[in-house]
Amino acid sequence: MDHLKAINQKARRIQAHVGAPVAANDGTADAPASAAASDPDALDVVGLESRQGPHIPLGCSLVFAPGWEVDSTGGTAGLCQPVERDLFDCHLACFWPAHVPDQLNHAPDWTGKCAAAQKDWRKIDLIFP
Amino acid sequence: MKPLTIQAPAALAAVLLMAAAGQAQEAEETTGIPVTDQLVIDTCVRCHAVDDDGMMTRVSYMRKTPEGWQQSIRRMVTLNEVELEPEIARDIVRYLSDHHGIAPEELRPARFEVERRLIDWSYEASHEGDEDVDRVCSSCHSMGRVVTQRRTREEWDLLMATHRGYYPLSDTQGFRRFGPPAPDATDTRHPMDKAVAELSGKFPLTTAEWSSWSATMRPPRLAGTWALKGHDPGRGPIYGTVEITEDADAANFTTRVRYGYARTGEQVEREGRAIVYTGYQWRGRSFVGGDEDTSLREVMMVERGWNEINGRWFAGAYDEFGPDVTLLRADGPVVLGLHPVALRSGDSGTVTVHGVNLPTGLGAADLDLGPGVEVVSVTRSDSEVVAAQVTASGDAAAGARDVFLAGRPVPGQLTVYETVDRILVTPEAGMSRLGGGAFPKGYAQFEATAYSNGPDGEPETDDDLDLGFVDVEWSMEEYSAVFDDDDIGYVGTLGADGLFDPALDGPNPDRQGLRNNVGDVWTVATWRGPDGEEVRGRAHLIVTVPLYMRWEPWRVQMVPGVPRRTSDTGSER
Repeated sequence: MDHLKAINQKARRIQAHVGAPVAANDGTADAPASAAASDPDALDVVGLESRQGPHIPLGCSLVFAPGWEVDSTGGTAGLCQPVERDLFDCHLACFWPAHVPDQLNHAPDWTGKCAAAQKDWRKIDLIFP
Repeated sequence: MKPLTIQAPAALAAVLLMAAAGQAQEAEETTGIPVTDQLVIDTCVRCHAVDDDGMMTRVSYMRKTPEGWQQSIRRMVTLNEVELEPEIARDIVRYLSDHHGIAPEELRPARFEVERRLIDWSYEASHEGDEDVDRVCSSCHSMGRVVTQRRTREEWDLLMATHRGYYPLSDTQGFRRFGPPAPDATDTRHPMDKAVAELSGKFPLTTAEWSSWSATMRPPRLAGTWALKGHDPGRGPIYGTVEITEDADAANFTTRVRYGYARTGEQVEREGRAIVYTGYQWRGRSFVGGDEDTSLREVMMVERGWNEINGRWFAGAYDEFGPDVTLLRADGPVVLGLHPVALRSGDSGTVTVHGVNLPTGLGAADLDLGPGVEVVSVTRSDSEVVAAQVTASGDAAAGARDVFLAGRPVPGQLTVYETVDRILVTPEAGMSRLGGGAFPKGYAQFEATAYSNGPDGEPETDDDLDLGFVDVEWSMEEYSAVFDDDDIGYVGTLGADGLFDPALDGPNPDRQGLRNNVGDVWTVATWRGPDGEEVRGRAHLIVTVPLYMRWEPWRVQMVPGVPRRTSDTGSER
């Protein structure tokens, strides 16, 4: 982004933001998973780039839109947060069937001990179907 | 109500169809596996009828791993009100795993599933699978669960039906079209139809692998001394021995395990028990001094020939800790490996060769480390370790050298290098889960490996030299996913040993929008050389939400806190 000049507040904010990692990466040799210090792309905000996002191992993990562990960009910034806020929706509507117990078969009383998960989240049980 | 009428040709067609279906059914049934165990019949017959040929509905038409059968039995208990004594359940799992199991060749491509590895794996690449079929299944769970099963076509159909019955919304989650077919698509079948056709073709009940394996299958004879070599992520190579004792009927085994960490010399002793299912699937558990907190589950494959057993031993709420292990039968001398695996040209240091039943009293002339590497003296030579003072000459050519000890080849090589040019942090993509409040923590262990660019001086080319595990300084950096990203202040801490300890689960009132302590960060390894040079590498870490339902056949420890790791004997934590 060196060839761009910030002309408004938002652009200056971007410039200020991406300026920070420059110092941190300076004079270092990074692993292939990371961008080299001399790579101008390394100055960008990673999550906003159009290039390929972070790689998530899919062998044993579970990833699906809008995402349980990660969002569609492969990060956590876009997850529904806090998870407790919509957890019971998942329970009622079985939205993440393999991650959250369903009320139909596996854990009909799962929400019995807490009326509002945001407050009573410590009472949520771990279910072994 | 209008009476239902069928015109004659249609009725005839219907009868013919039914007859054809009957024939198909008959042909299908003859391909089943008869259930001959009276305990299984008595326990399951209440719901699963047995015909004159010994074919039991559903059970006769599928084959699975011990974990698969255990999961089925658990489901019968939790959802179908089956009452079972644990002893009987164990016997049933053993019978079904042995007689309705899967062959070694069938399990091998998907062993990550039973070994609980978080790895890169693709159904498309591994099994030339269809992308739509992958999506139908892995929208909710790993494809590993699918490809470790074998079923008849009717059974794959029934499996889909079972999912729709138990998870009605699977129709909208996974069993659906993800967008319209491409305009030029020749195959416009529904993904579910594709899945049944593909899975019954790729993973049928009757296979050459299984007929071959079931003909030769028997309890393996494993009693004796075995040499152990392995790698414990974050802690480096381990070497030792395992004494395996068979019980009277050769069906159960007890183990005495002793191994040491090559880097630190720390010694570990464990005692365990194991069962071998299907003639090759080792499932064991071992402890340090009987302490439950030190439990490691052992999932290994006994290789044909009964001279090698390999797999993974693991612990942790998400099975995230534990070494990869290989056992080699040690009737005679076994050389296992050396440590360290790299030496800088011009440097001197200690190299240790590890093994079992090694000849003792060896001298410098017995250890051959290759051109340019001089063995100055042997400082220790017993049956398990040979330690030598060595010097790499300043003009030794960079490259890996074969190593020989008393005329025997030593697995692995000693690499002479000039500079450390790059640090690789593994796993390159890690995942940790918040916990410690209501749910157990999911830790993430990182480790650093050094590489030299090799003679061509270019990184990531074929002549790069792997210099093995190195000690580094660990730190974290923000992974900027949004403006003013501040995850690093919340997600947790990265210890000096590369172990990431996630923060507390639950909403965080100090965070905007009560966000959980989730986030993305870089884990950064900084290696410092003897001349003050620095080389850094980094990996992406996702710290995410807990799982609220667990499908593993075992219960995870619910006590929040740091689990005792593989080698912990109480002195470190």
